[in-house]
Amino acid sequence: MAYADLLPEEMRKQLIQRIAEGETAREQAIDVMTALQNHFGHMSDQAMLVASELLAMTPLELEELATFYNFIYRQPVGKYVIHVCDSAVCWMHGHESLMDHLLSRLKIRLGETTEDGLFTVLPVCCLGYCDHAPAMLVNRHIHGELTREKIDRILTRLAEEPHLPTGMK
Amino acid sequence: MPRIVIDGLEIEVPQETKVIDAAERLGIMIPRFCYLKSLGAVGACRVCAVKFLQGPFKGVQMSCMVDVQDGMVVSTTDDEAVAFRRQVIEWLMLNHPHDCPVCDEGGQCLLQDETVSGGHGIRRYKGSKRTYRNQYLGEFIAHEMNRCIHCYRCSRFYQEYCGYRDLGVMQIADRVYFGRFQNGQLESPFSGNLVDLCPTGVYTDIPARYKVRSWDLDRSPSVCIHCSLGCNTVANARYRTVWRVEGRYNEALGSEFICDRGRFGFGYTNQPSRPRQARVDSRSVALSDALKSAAEKLSRIHAASGPRAIACVGSARNSLETQTMLKSLCDGLGLPAPCFFVNSQTEKAVKRAVASLDERVAVSLNGVAHGDFIVAVGVDPLNEAPMLALAMRQAHRRGALLVILDPRPSFLPAPHVHLGFAPGELNGVLGSLVGKALETGDEGKLPPLHEDFLKSLPLESLFKAPVNHGEELDVVLSALQKSRRPVLVCGSEIVRENTPSLCADLALLMRSAKGQCGLFYVLPGANAFGGALLSGSEESSFMEVVESMEQGCTKALVLVESDPFLQFPHKDRLKRAMEKLELLIVLDHLPSLSAEMSHVFLPTSTLFEVDSTFINQEGRVQWSRAVHEGGIPMEQWTEGNHPPRAHGAIIPGQDFKAAGKVLEEIARNMGASGEVSLSDPRFRPGKGASPLEGAPGDRPGDGMRLIPRESSREPFSAREEYFTFGEDAGDSLELLLVEALFGTEELSAHSPALEKVEPKPHMWMHEQDASMLGFSQDDVIAMDLEGGVVEVRLKVSPSMARGVLVLPRHHRLQWQKFRDISVRVPHDRMRKS
Repeated sequence: MAYADLLPEEMRKQLIQRIAEGETAREQAIDVMTALQNHFGHMSDQAMLVASELLAMTPLELEELATFYNFIYRQPVGKYVIHVCDSAVCWMHGHESLMDHLLSRLKIRLGETTEDGLFTVLPVCCLGYCDHAPAMLVNRHIHGELTREKIDRILTRLAEEPHLPTGMK
Repeated sequence: MPRIVIDGLEIEVPQETKVIDAAERLGIMIPRFCYLKSLGAVGACRVCAVKFLQGPFKGVQMSCMVDVQDGMVVSTTDDEAVAFRRQVIEWLMLNHPHDCPVCDEGGQCLLQDETVSGGHGIRRYKGSKRTYRNQYLGEFIAHEMNRCIHCYRCSRFYQEYCGYRDLGVMQIADRVYFGRFQNGQLESPFSGNLVDLCPTGVYTDIPARYKVRSWDLDRSPSVCIHCSLGCNTVANARYRTVWRVEGRYNEALGSEFICDRGRFGFGYTNQPSRPRQARVDSRSVALSDALKSAAEKLSRIHAASGPRAIACVGSARNSLETQTMLKSLCDGLGLPAPCFFVNSQTEKAVKRAVASLDERVAVSLNGVAHGDFIVAVGVDPLNEAPMLALAMRQAHRRGALLVILDPRPSFLPAPHVHLGFAPGELNGVLGSLVGKALETGDEGKLPPLHEDFLKSLPLESLFKAPVNHGEELDVVLSALQKSRRPVLVCGSEIVRENTPSLCADLALLMRSAKGQCGLFYVLPGANAFGGALLSGSEESSFMEVVESMEQGCTKALVLVESDPFLQFPHKDRLKRAMEKLELLIVLDHLPSLSAEMSHVFLPTSTLFEVDSTFINQEGRVQWSRAVHEGGIPMEQWTEGNHPPRAHGAIIPGQDFKAAGKVLEEIARNMGASGEVSLSDPRFRPGKGASPLEGAPGDRPGDGMRLIPRESSREPFSAREEYFTFGEDAGDSLELLLVEALFGTEELSAHSPALEKVEPKPHMWMHEQDASMLGFSQDDVIAMDLEGGVVEVRLKVSPSMARGVLVLPRHHRLQWQKFRDISVRVPHDRMRKS
């Protein structure tokens, strides 16, 4: 296991055991990739090869999943990944102007990361939070009924927050 | 069977026929991109929409997704359906580049055809198009993703149909991307089919890329001769060069796919090294003069030393015409019967296989794909007959259990049970497997002869075997017990000579127990079947020819498209024997040591230059049509200039003939008795005419099976010899000279395209044998043999048989230093180099 040796002993054992508990290795693919992503920050090519070894799937088979699924990042992302809901109900509630506000405040385009490495903005298909539209997800925390002011507050708080761990927690 | 009316035409079709296929039977080609009969339906592209007017469905539906049911009335020309299809095509074309003029697919592009026929001739979309970065997919296939219309044929074929896992579909929505994880050679040896099945130019054939336009090509139906299966192909040629080979559908073989050896192995016909010049005693002469000279020299020896001083050797790559003519020449001049096999062990196995095949049990490749239990004995499907591996995978996909009973490490793109036993153990293991599976059956149900045979099977030998296969064997036994359509696949290269007969007997036994059982042999070479039919009843092996040359009895040797140096175990011995000859006549289109040594060399045509006939391993006669007349390819003759700067009345490099014609003229010049006849009664199975006669138009498209209804071989007669075991392994390894996917087959070894992907020479040993000898993976092992030292890299496998040394006959390895084909290599003759 050339690539899997990159992992801490403890984590590798845990993952191997987790895979063994499933009926097939394949069903654990997303979970294993998520765990690796939490560890490495994003799914680099090398991380994909680690997953490939652990799951006995080819890198291509994992790439098929990784590039389909919104929450696996194949490129480096910021400390906070902001998934802005990109669905009909949010569109009806000012999605476009909020997105403009968010991006101009962070001085990036959609899909980019701020220079300080804090924020990445990505679109995501419906978050299922339509009753509180418009909505966005920041490192798995949902924020609804967004306004420009609310977005500003969230961004300021996050930028000042020194305690939050990196990656998706 | 349900009836359907399509566009006012009524047709009755078998249950579960799709509407799109029913229409095709009526001659109505409904547009399609994702649908391919061999892959099944997914309904992804939406372009096969038709309108259902009456029956259980109403309105516009996808014709690939609906099975024909009674009472259906369908219109393909209804306004609503036509408008639907036109819009779908327009959407599919949104992102498609307008690069048809420089696209290699142009002219034979399904997307082009459907766009025009769908009524979308003028683009309305003015926006920018989605673009992709292409990948390097290896030496065979160029990638051009911008052209993709997302039909999913490639990923479905690659992963589902073939079982390879390095090409697939990534991304989502309008970013969907078909490719690999990273740049690299495609792992599947069936990857070339992507070129044929992609409805547009995402995957194009590299050897032909930027060389030809499809409408400029001469095309002809051809047959693949790179193994014994005889897959059907289309040959494409222009300017005296064969550019491309494509797959062609054959119902009996069950698919339109071919392997990469068959697709890219044609290079031998274009090679600059191909000998095109007739020679007599090293002087270049016209073919007609060389023919006269050959006849004169042969006549002199015939007169001085008698007919028995002349030996003729053909090969399994000869066409049936050539083999028949060689046989006629020998008969007409009273010569010993021709020999078609250099390896006499294989020859015996092939003859037994050919004698055993009959209509009761023989199945085609498609039959294998529909078996519910496949056991392959002494055969390595992927390396010996690649499309067989794919047929076995299809059987697996339909629920069959696959068992490989073979000493080699097994590579099959499907889950299977590999029982790695040495060749001497195969009979015993197979016999006991079948014996045990049938043992619990009802007594007295079988005919007495079959019952006796069943009782003679060794129930115990399986479990005495040194390798522990306990759990797997239980699975295999229970699957075989339940099986209703078992198929026995049997090789002929490494098996004992009676293994094919045993398989035939077991197939007959299982047939009477289960009502049905298939038998499928794999033979060494495209026309090994013809060679076995024609080599005559007398046992004259090539080894005897060599001995006779050594003793000076055989004074003249005629080699017809055969280079015995490739197969004979001891090169120096053969060379010394051939140097004693008074006359060596070689007919060939491949460069070889034999050709270099010849006194008279007569160049012959390749498959692509003459209509020819081949009999595949199931006894199916198939015809290949010439695609061009041959000659030195324009590219070589003009040194890349076009048009040619020099002109003449004669096409350069065309002074050759089909080997059969060369032999016919030699026979005529020698005054062989009577006309040479192609209507041998052997080729008249039942009432039909000889396959060598009659107009091409009269011939059945799927070929014609040339086997008796019931074999004249007496079944179960040789059962005593089946289960006698050879000597103990002792401190030596049994040598197995084997075929590899790339690098061993004679014709494709001359293909520049395949040269780039063939692996380096290597040999295989069980890991315990290796560690016992102190060897490990990738060590270079030197073997001290009768004819000198052979050095080759070692690979080890935990699943292959113990006590064997598996050596692929790689054309880059000078392995021919063994005393004999069937030898054991003592441990103390091997050392780390």
